[in-house]
Amino acid sequence: MDKRFETPSSPFTHCGASTQRIMLDVILALLPATVAAIVIFGAPALVPILSCVIAAVVSEFLFNVITHRKQSIGDLSAVVTGLLLGLNLSTNVPVWQCVLGSVFAIVFVKCLFGGLGHNFANPAITARVFMLVSFTQVMGGAMPKGVDLVTSATPLEVLSTGGEGLPSLLDMFLGVRGGAVGETCIIALLIGFAYLVIRRVIRWYVPAIFVGSVFVLYFVTTGSAVTALYEIMAGGLFLGAIFMATDYQTSPINNKGKAFFALGCGILTFVIREYCAYPEGVSLSILVMNILAPMIEKWTAATPLGLGGPKNAK
Amino acid sequence: MAFRKRLQAVHVPHHKNTAGMKAETLPPPKEVLLPVNMHMGTPAVPVVSVGDYVRVGQKLARGEGNITCEVHATVSGTVVSLDPMPELFGNDLPVIRIENDGKMEADPTLAPRTAEDLAAFVEDLHESGIVGLGGAAFPVDWKFDAALHNNVKTMLINGAECEPYVTSDNRMMLDHGEDIRRGIEILKKYVKPDNFVFAIENNKPNAIAAMKELFADDPTVSIIELPSSYPQGAKQMILYNALGKVVYAGQRLATLGVIIINVSTLAKVAKFMDTGMPLVDRVVTIDGSAIKEPKNLLVPIGTPYRYLVEAAGGLKCEPGRVVNGGPMMGHAVPSLDYPVLKTTGSVLVFSEADSVIHEPTPCIHCGRCVSHCPMNLNPTAFSDDLEEENGDKRALLLDRDHVNFCIECGSCSYVCPAHRPLVENNRAAKKYLKKYKADHKEGGKK
Repeated sequence: MDKRFETPSSPFTHCGASTQRIMLDVILALLPATVAAIVIFGAPALVPILSCVIAAVVSEFLFNVITHRKQSIGDLSAVVTGLLLGLNLSTNVPVWQCVLGSVFAIVFVKCLFGGLGHNFANPAITARVFMLVSFTQVMGGAMPKGVDLVTSATPLEVLSTGGEGLPSLLDMFLGVRGGAVGETCIIALLIGFAYLVIRRVIRWYVPAIFVGSVFVLYFVTTGSAVTALYEIMAGGLFLGAIFMATDYQTSPINNKGKAFFALGCGILTFVIREYCAYPEGVSLSILVMNILAPMIEKWTAATPLGLGGPKNAK
Repeated sequence: MAFRKRLQAVHVPHHKNTAGMKAETLPPPKEVLLPVNMHMGTPAVPVVSVGDYVRVGQKLARGEGNITCEVHATVSGTVVSLDPMPELFGNDLPVIRIENDGKMEADPTLAPRTAEDLAAFVEDLHESGIVGLGGAAFPVDWKFDAALHNNVKTMLINGAECEPYVTSDNRMMLDHGEDIRRGIEILKKYVKPDNFVFAIENNKPNAIAAMKELFADDPTVSIIELPSSYPQGAKQMILYNALGKVVYAGQRLATLGVIIINVSTLAKVAKFMDTGMPLVDRVVTIDGSAIKEPKNLLVPIGTPYRYLVEAAGGLKCEPGRVVNGGPMMGHAVPSLDYPVLKTTGSVLVFSEADSVIHEPTPCIHCGRCVSHCPMNLNPTAFSDDLEEENGDKRALLLDRDHVNFCIECGSCSYVCPAHRPLVENNRAAKKYLKKYKADHKEGGKK
């Protein structure tokens, strides 16, 4: 007989997508926000960003070595986690805390649960909440370079204490305000959003519903579109809605579920900001919804084509 | 047309390289291999012995039992072996090998069929050896048997041909319009449906134009253009997209008043009724990255692939994978000795570089499989369910997640960025569930 060929299962063609490429797309989408962070906050912005990325990759590498697992840093997911966490911290946070947060995200939230695809909550979000609870005093946010430090409060803190001394709406959009390094520049985040949608990495409606529901709730309760605009641009809403609420592993797998997940995030963000002790609700709301995601997925599962019977059948 | 919700689908590059190439007739091969299970259902039983001289169209194996189909000689010559070839087919069923004498002498007893009514038509078709040529391999007599018990209003003629590369149905519509027209006349005579609907993907504008012209003066025939998305030609998809109907679980298609038939199958039925010649040859597309000159070939069924490769100018590089059928739902075969089967619409030979099997990485829960599944299933759930160690619970979970709705179209595996073997798992899951249910039934009776 002629040459023998392997006979694996069909299909014998593939669309070419890979996990690594998806992670690379997320990193590329975060680059505008990273550049904006350096422009707005200067070189100090590099401190949380670089320390988190390095600590995340190194801790995943070491974890795999120590536990004799297959090396997984090549899939770039640790870089994404580190970069997201770094962009979620302000220049006030000391390096050792950045490193601790990253190690927590990678080792405790991701690797110990089985690595990529097995974590129940978003590692960067969980680490940020962990740091928020542990190091409350430094998590508020530092001011951009060159800004006269009349007040050292972030817009969210200002908003929750009466609104005196708010930056202009344009400054809010461009990111010239206090806060975590990667969350302030809305335009940079929107560029990343557009890139991810074009690359079909995320669904456009998840951030849209998240941000949109927060806007609507503020508009309805305050009657002021300006206040609602300030509220959606303040804090880490855009960063969280675009890059964290769209995390695959910790949001429902089906499209309908993703929409409800985003709506839940929006409502919870509003509730936490308005009625709870914390001025910022984005991280906590995503974390809570992460835990609810499997339930949402179950409730919103699609009906298989041909299940049941014709509506008018007896 | 009323608004219809769009079904989920994938867009696979079409690679219809041979769409413009009329089928060439392959020089008769030296031998043919005819397995007895080229159809869905019970394998046929050989009625010839080693050493017998057979002519083209002569019956070699008879169908026995429910849902079965005959096998006919596709060349004239001597039967040299009936032995199983497990290394090629992976089973112990007889394979009828005929050494071709090159005369291609037709069986003189074959005569045009003269059935009076539907029952006799079905009876005749039983000797046609024709199965659904689109890939399902459902014996055509059993297909029309359903018309005896149901009032068929619409005949849906499937010309979707959604699998990449394959262009044999396209060529059938372009080159053998007369056979198709005869097929419609025959169906009008016996099945008597109210109307005929041709459903063709819009990447075949020439075929659509040809059919429109052919039936321009026939008000009972309409031609519907379908979007070119995969798996458009699958039963549920074409039924929904062409007629807006859904066949529900446990329901037979004919109870909706519809019978679906592939356009090439229809042409073969016409040929059989008019000449008495059963299914002995078919058009096969030979293509793939290792083939020098992709083309369409009219070949006797049972022809080993190497003859097709030779006729297509040979190989341009070291082959790594040989596929019977399309790249999405076809199956890989172990050797170029493998023969063209009744359902072989295409033979694809891929280069070694295109045959690399990617190592699966962990599922990242991205949901691409879910949002592309034409049946609205969650393929990752089946893979998770399969890992359940308790056998009873595993069956329960698989049933709950409706694994039996999977049509194994391969869309999930195609889009998976983690290269997970989703459709392979689905197949294993369906198999497990079937066995479990069979065992469970027996246990219950005790």
